[in-house]
Parts: sequence; structure tokens; C-alpha cells
Amino acid sequence: MPEIRLKNLTKRFGKTIAVDNLDLVIQEGEFVTLLGPSGCGKTTTLRMIAGLETPSEGEIYIDETCVFSSEEGIDISPDKRNVGFLFQNYALWPHMTVYKNISFGLENLKWDKKKIKIRVEELLNMLRIAEYGDRYPSELSGGQQQRVAIARTLATGPKILFMDEPLSNLDAKLRMEMRTELKRLHMETDSTFVYVTHDQLEAMTLSTKICLLDEGLLQQFAPPLDIYHNPSNHFVADFVGSPNINILEARGNNVNLDEIKLDSGSLEFLFAPTTSSVNIRSNQKLLLGIRPEDIEITDKGDIQGKVYSTLPSGMETIVKIDVNNIILTCVVFGGVDFEMGTNVKIAFKSENNVLFDRVSKLNIASGRLM
Amino acid sequence: MKYRNKVKAFLKKPQNVILLSLAFILVYLTVVPMITIILDTFTVHQSELMRVKGSKVGDLTLYHWGKVLFSSSSKKIFYEPFLNTLIVSLGTCFVAIGLGGLVAWLVTRTNIRFKGIISTLFIFPYIMPSWTLAMAWLNFFKNSRVGGAPGIFTALFGIETADWFAYGPFPIIVVLGLHYAPFAYILIGGILRNMDANLEEAALILKASRGKIMRKITIPIVLPAILSTFLLVFSSAMSAFAVPAFLGTSVRYQVLTTQMFRTLNGLNPGYGYIMALLMIGIGILILGVNQKIIGTRKSFTTITGKSSNIAYINLRNFKIPISVALIVFIGMVCILPLVTFAIESFIMEPGNYSWSNFTTLFWVGEGNPQIANGEPGILRNPTIFNGLWNSIRLSISVAFIAGSVGILAGYAIVKKKGTRLSTMVNNLAFFPYLMPSMAFGAIYLSMFAIKRGFIPSLYGSFALLVLVGAVKYLPFASRASVGAMHQLSNEIEEAGTIQGIGWTKRMLRIIIPIQKSSFISGYLLPFISSMRELSLFILLVTPSTRILTTMLFQYNEKGWSQYANAINLLIVLFVVGSSLIVNRVTGASIDKGIGGH
Ligand SMILES: Nc1ncnc2c1ncn2[C@@H]1O[C@H](COP(=O)(O)OP(=O)(O)O)[C@@H](O)[C@H]1O
Ligand SMILES: [Mg+2]
Repeated sequence: MPEIRLKNLTKRFGKTIAVDNLDLVIQEGEFVTLLGPSGCGKTTTLRMIAGLETPSEGEIYIDETCVFSSEEGIDISPDKRNVGFLFQNYALWPHMTVYKNISFGLENLKWDKKKIKIRVEELLNMLRIAEYGDRYPSELSGGQQQRVAIARTLATGPKILFMDEPLSNLDAKLRMEMRTELKRLHMETDSTFVYVTHDQLEAMTLSTKICLLDEGLLQQFAPPLDIYHNPSNHFVADFVGSPNINILEARGNNVNLDEIKLDSGSLEFLFAPTTSSVNIRSNQKLLLGIRPEDIEITDKGDIQGKVYSTLPSGMETIVKIDVNNIILTCVVFGGVDFEMGTNVKIAFKSENNVLFDRVSKLNIASGRLM
Repeated sequence: MKYRNKVKAFLKKPQNVILLSLAFILVYLTVVPMITIILDTFTVHQSELMRVKGSKVGDLTLYHWGKVLFSSSSKKIFYEPFLNTLIVSLGTCFVAIGLGGLVAWLVTRTNIRFKGIISTLFIFPYIMPSWTLAMAWLNFFKNSRVGGAPGIFTALFGIETADWFAYGPFPIIVVLGLHYAPFAYILIGGILRNMDANLEEAALILKASRGKIMRKITIPIVLPAILSTFLLVFSSAMSAFAVPAFLGTSVRYQVLTTQMFRTLNGLNPGYGYIMALLMIGIGILILGVNQKIIGTRKSFTTITGKSSNIAYINLRNFKIPISVALIVFIGMVCILPLVTFAIESFIMEPGNYSWSNFTTLFWVGEGNPQIANGEPGILRNPTIFNGLWNSIRLSISVAFIAGSVGILAGYAIVKKKGTRLSTMVNNLAFFPYLMPSMAFGAIYLSMFAIKRGFIPSLYGSFALLVLVGAVKYLPFASRASVGAMHQLSNEIEEAGTIQGIGWTKRMLRIIIPIQKSSFISGYLLPFISSMRELSLFILLVTPSTRILTTMLFQYNEKGWSQYANAINLLIVLFVVGSSLIVNRVTGASIDKGIGGH
């Protein structure tokens, strides 16, 4: 059963269009991430679903109930939508203790004192902040504040949970830890999570589905690995993955039945689509995307290059290779390093190289390089 | 040797030198007067020789304290005015915080219309002299029983206003409340603007009602601003003189300040100083309570985060009615008074508003021996011009000194934040705010009437007016400057220090330009305040140093209300005009001066 459904959702602030005609269906129990660069409309989308922002146009359904419709003039207020919201800056009430912050929502539901106490303590223990119950938010570290904010949001047991960049204020180590916990939380609470982030790694690692936005427009809505291997356009390919995907400009021509001959000036490839066969115009301007981990440094390779720079991190080494003045990035796993300036040979090993049209930027085909 | 090096190193830092000098100067200019006041309450003065039997001037005596606090007449002398003062001050706080807070909330949190006009006009009652509204009130609502002639309201509607409505505590509270409402608006609005709207939204999502959000979230969070407003408004209302003098005297409604004026100006300075002392005591008490409450664990630091996309509360069907009502109300408070001054200054016989009674005599007339001793109209009256000139040069001098010292004070206080010296100077610089203006004036009069050390006798001099004004308004400047310095990261100055740029150049080329508008606000407020100040200067002026406000008061006392109204119009236009110009040209504003954001 779909939990949240957006239809033609649009939000304008004066002249700027923050969210542009967004259609989205989020199923029950999913962990959906709204991903995109800063200012692309993620927060606005989330706030519209929660009822904190009034859409300019469109419809929103939660649990099959229409909570907003511009045409029918329906606008259910946030407190009636039965959702939880975790704010980017936590929005803890500075004048209330941790305990009070968490119990506030329960008091609004007119729970009795004893039940509230039991529930709050359960949450304090679950989030490992039991000893801080009597403190004020300003007396907590960032990570602790974040746990309090999560506890406050979870207290009333909402079936749908919105989170707006909840990890962005934490340091790298803590962020890593909290990711694990969020994923566990998703499983334990059995709720639907809608999660906002601009960090592609976070989106890739956490979600069951990613909704990638750019300038208010939906780019792709698919599971993380689909997004990674089969990006719908150049923007998506470029946005996910670290280090970035290699993009080469090329001109292409159909050859040999269903292969494409690519010419990027100093390099020539033969591209064999693994999806369906494609027809292109002769000399069509294209972009070729090759993931760094798909380039192999091997003596068996048939392309000659020179090591331009290396960034060894222990687990892997990012090597930039100069091939006839085109710089290609590749990743070598394990603790290996290369001398800068040495000659190496490379080969393309995967079937997931992507071809985009250079004008429309759309995905034309995935395939093998020969 | 080691000790000498330490002292040398200490004195090498400009902020230390500034703090030390300020500590000395401010102790001399605030603590010494305070001690003088205390001593004065135990001293026999020239005019009291007759009462304190068998004494000489300067003798120690308990006579004043006994008489004021524990005698059969102390009810009349002290307790009644004291109670009235408390009622008026509390009432004023109530009106100011209620009204100012409501408007602040409407402007920052709802989709009300005309926000720009409202936030500009709403500050006006504070820019205008406080008695402006009092005079307007009288012009409008005076009745012939007490006021001699009927006011405009009676003339228009034929209804005689009730005494309680026209005079006494009710109009005093309303007028002072309106005058100080901008304080609340600026301080509470500043916090609301900076307060993360998410705090309220978080409560909304957790199903709290609008009323509960207001009670449990919004109000507690703006509490520091409310307390700070309370402190400022209560102290100001307590030491307000002109408004109760205009609205209360005719029905013998005395508050401490009006009582003080009678005693300081008359036969019992000792009484007056006791009242001043008690008022200072109350001020310090409120300040202490205020700091205690704000300094608790419920730190409010988290509220200054950037406020992300605020969704304004939709007033729906009430939007237009509320917007219009507010505009009309503000218009009545800001514009209508000026209209009444204009009208009153053009009529020959007060109370008669028929066309034939209109005259330009009080503006451009040559003076008619039968009217007001032949005083010429104010636009061809050399004494008025002299007063205007005095007012202007006084205000400019005061603003220059207070503003500049304020910048240095703010710089040094923030640089040495947390040290005892810094805290002390910070408090000393705020202390003059708590001193009732009139007592402050009186004490400076007695302190500097004689030669003191290298300071010559300043009695009757212009310099004395400048000195008392500069000290009295230093709190505004230092607050503005402390606020500005807090926003400036230390690294900005350090970047200059590392490149070997000297201190003067760092101040003039880096720090001051960056926070220019805040610093200029520190000049603006003392300027406006001294332009419209009455009670601080009223005991100090001599015929040669008369300023506009004291002339206005004298005209009013003599019952020549047309002149008073004309001068009032002149002052208001001048003050409002100059503050608008400064605001347009430099971006400085009253908000920044008071400590808003
Ligand atoms: N209250 C607002 N008023 C005007 N513009 C806004 C407001 N909120 C967001 N915007 C604009 O809408 C766009 C999307 O903003 P937002 O949803 O906050 O982006 P994100 O969360 O993806 O960084 C931005 O261009 C932003 O400037
Ligand atoms: Mg955002």
C-alpha cells in the first residue's frame, strides 16, 4: 500500500521554482532519500509533505487520505497528518530539559504521567542518553543533542518519519556511527522514512530508494544501485559516486550491426551495448561515462598511459592517469601505490559504462568497451 | 623587576589601558555621585536650615530620612508618590510589553500586510519626546473642569471627558506604555526574528495547539528579551518626569520624580536625594534579578542559529482587518499628535476651534503686549533660535562623546570578556541608565558647582550639560558597541595585527568600518535622546544655556500652550527628520542602538 503519494507537486517562492511538478510514490516501510545539491528543493518537498509549507499546486496523499489539494482547497494542518519530523538543526527547546523535550509530544496526546515516564525512559535507554535526562540541550554535545531530537520524534511512534539532513552537523566519525543506528532504527520501528541529504554516500548506503532532484526537478527515482549503474542522465551519473565518474566527450557512429564506434580525438573505442541495441545519428555528439573502479591497471591492457598523481588511502588508491592528455581517474583496491610519471597500461573491465547524448544529456545505452 | 615587566606588558595592550581609564573615569562620574547622593541624604543644606533646628550647612543629620520615611507626613511626601510610581511603572511595562510584543509577533510570525510601514512607524513614539503624546492627549481629551479649555474631542463630539480619563494614572500609563512599546518591539522582535521557526514547528508536529505553542515555546524563549525590556522600561518609566508632570500635576497625582522636582528645586533637597537613592536601589535590584534569571542553565544560545525558511502563520480572514486596524492605530499614535500640535499652535483662544479664531501670531507674529507678555512668534524669536542652537550643539557634543567612548568601551569590554575588570566597566557603563535623570542632574549640579581638582567650576556652563548628557547616554552607546563587537570574530582583528598594522589603524580601517552601522547607531541614540531630554537638564540650564525642551516646559508652565505646541512640533520634526536621514544615509538605526538585531 503506498504510504505517500505526490501528484504534480509544485512550490514557487516568488519567481523561483523550488519544486517543479513532482510526482512520487513512496511505499510503506521504505527508506526513501531525497538527494540533490544544496538548494534543489529537498527541504521544501519534505516540509510540504509534513504540512509546514503550503504547496503552490498539486496534491498530497498520506495513507490514501488527501491531505493537500490545491484544486479542492484541502489543506490538513501538520498536527493532523500523523508524521514525525527531525529538523536539520534539531530544534530542541532550549528552555526544557531533555526529559521535558521528549515528553512534550506525549503530553499533547494526553497520556497519563506514569505511561509517559515509562515511554520516555524506554527511549532514553534505547538511544543511550539515559544519564542526560535532567540536562538542558545547551549542556549536550552535538551527537547527544541529535539523539534527543530522534527520541523526541520517535516518542509518539509516528508511522512516517521525515528527517532533514539530521547528520550534517556531526563530525565524520559520529556520522558514520549514526548511519548504522538510523538503519537499525528503520528496521526496529517498522516505519516509513523519508530522509533528506546532499551527501550521496549517505543516500547510497542508507536508502531503499533514492529520489534525486536538481533545481526542483526529479532526475531519477530508483534503488541506489540502479542509480549508480544505470543513471538516467549525465547529472545523475556525475552526482553519485566518489571519486567522480570519468566523462569523455566523443562522437559516435553505428558500426557492425549494433556496436558504436566512439572517437574522442586522441582515443578510440568500440562500444557494445548490453541493453538493447541503439541507433544514433552519424557523428552524433556523445558523452561516455566510465566509473573509476571499472578502469583496471594491468599489463594486459592495450591503452598506454602515464601516472599523473596518486592518492593512497590504505584501503584503496585513487590513481589519475594521463592518456594522450586526457586525465582518467581509476581506483585500485588494496594498499598499492605507484610512482608518479611511470608508464602503465589500462583496460576497461565492466559492462556498466554509460553513453549519454551530449545535448539532451540523457542516457542512451550501457555497455562494454573494447 | 618581574613585576614591572608584567605591568609594562599589561599596559602595552590598548584594551587594558582603555578599561583602566574607563574604570577610573566612570567611578568618578557614577560612583562618586552615588556616594554624594548618599551623603547628601544625611546632610543639612542651605535651604533646610530653618527646619533642622540649630544646625549649620553641612552638618550630619538623620532629619531627612526620619521625615521622609517615619513621620506623620511621610505618607504624603513619600509613600503615596512611591506607590504611584510603582503602579505607573508596572502599568507601563504591561502596556509596552503587551503591545510591543504583539506587534513584534505579528510582524515576524504572521502574513500581516504593510510590514515595512508598520516597522518604520512603530518606532516613532520612541523617537518622539515622551511628552509629545502627553501633550497630544491633553490637546485631545482635556476637559474644561481641570484643563480650563475643552480639548478637541469635546469640541468635536460635545462630550466632556471624565477626569480619570483625561488626567492621572490612566493616561500616564497609556502614554508611557506607547512611548516604550518600541523597546519591546525591537528587543522581542529581534529574538523572534533570530529564533528558529523550527522550534515552533516541532511543537506543532507533535500536536500542540497554537495556544500551547505560544505559552510553552514562544514566550519562554523570548523571556530574556521580555525581561530585558522590563528592566529598561521599568527604570525609564520610574524616572520619567515630563509625562507625569503634564498629565498628573493638575489633579495632584504625584510620582517620585515630580515630587523630587519640587523638593530638589525647592526647599528640601535632602528629601529629593532620598527618593533618588531609593529609585536607584530599585533599578539595581531589577538589574540583579534580571541577570540572575538570564544567567541560568537554560542557556538560550541555541536560539541564535540561522532561521531557516519561515512559514508565516496565515491569518486568513483576519489578515486585512488586523492589518488595517494596526495601521490606523499606529497612524493615530504617530501622526495625529503632530496634527494637534499644529492646530493648537494656530488658535488664538484655547478651546475655540472655529475658523475665525485661527491665527499665525504664535509662529510669525511680532508679539502683542496683551498676549504672553508680547513674546514674538517662534519663527522670529531670537530666544527660540538660541534654544534651538543650544539643543543642536548640545546633542551633537553629547552624541560625539558618548558614541566615541562607547565604541572604545565596547571594544575593550568584549576583548577582555570574562575578566573582572571588563565586567566592572560593563556594569559601570550601564549604571547611569538606572539613575533617575533628574537626580543625576541635581547631583552633577552640586558636585561640579565648585572647582574640583583640575576641573574648574562648571556651574551654569554648557560643558556641564554636555558632561551630564554624555554620561547619562553612555549606556546606549556601549550596549550598541558591545553588541557589534560580539558579532565580530576576533580573527578579523588578529589578521591585521599579524601584518603589523598598528592599533589605531586597525580600529579606524578594519573594526569600525565593518560594524559601521551599529557604531553609528551608538551615536544616533544619544543624539536623539538629548535632543528631546527634559528632566536631565531642567535643573542645570541657566538663561544663557536654555535648550528647546526646557523652554517648552516653561511656556507650558506659564500656560502659553500655543508656543509650547509650536516648539513641540519643531522638536518632533527635527528629531524624526534627522533620525530618518541618518538611517537612510548610514544604515544606522534605533533598533541597533537599543540592542535589537
Ligand atoms: N521561505 C523561502 N522563501 C524564498 N525562497 C525559498 C524559501 N525556502 C526555500 N527557498 C528557495 O527554494 C529553493 C529550494 O530550497 P530548499 O528546499 O531549502 O533546498 P535544499 O533543502 O534542497 O537545500 C532554494 O532556491 C531556496 O532559496
Ligand atoms: Mg535543506
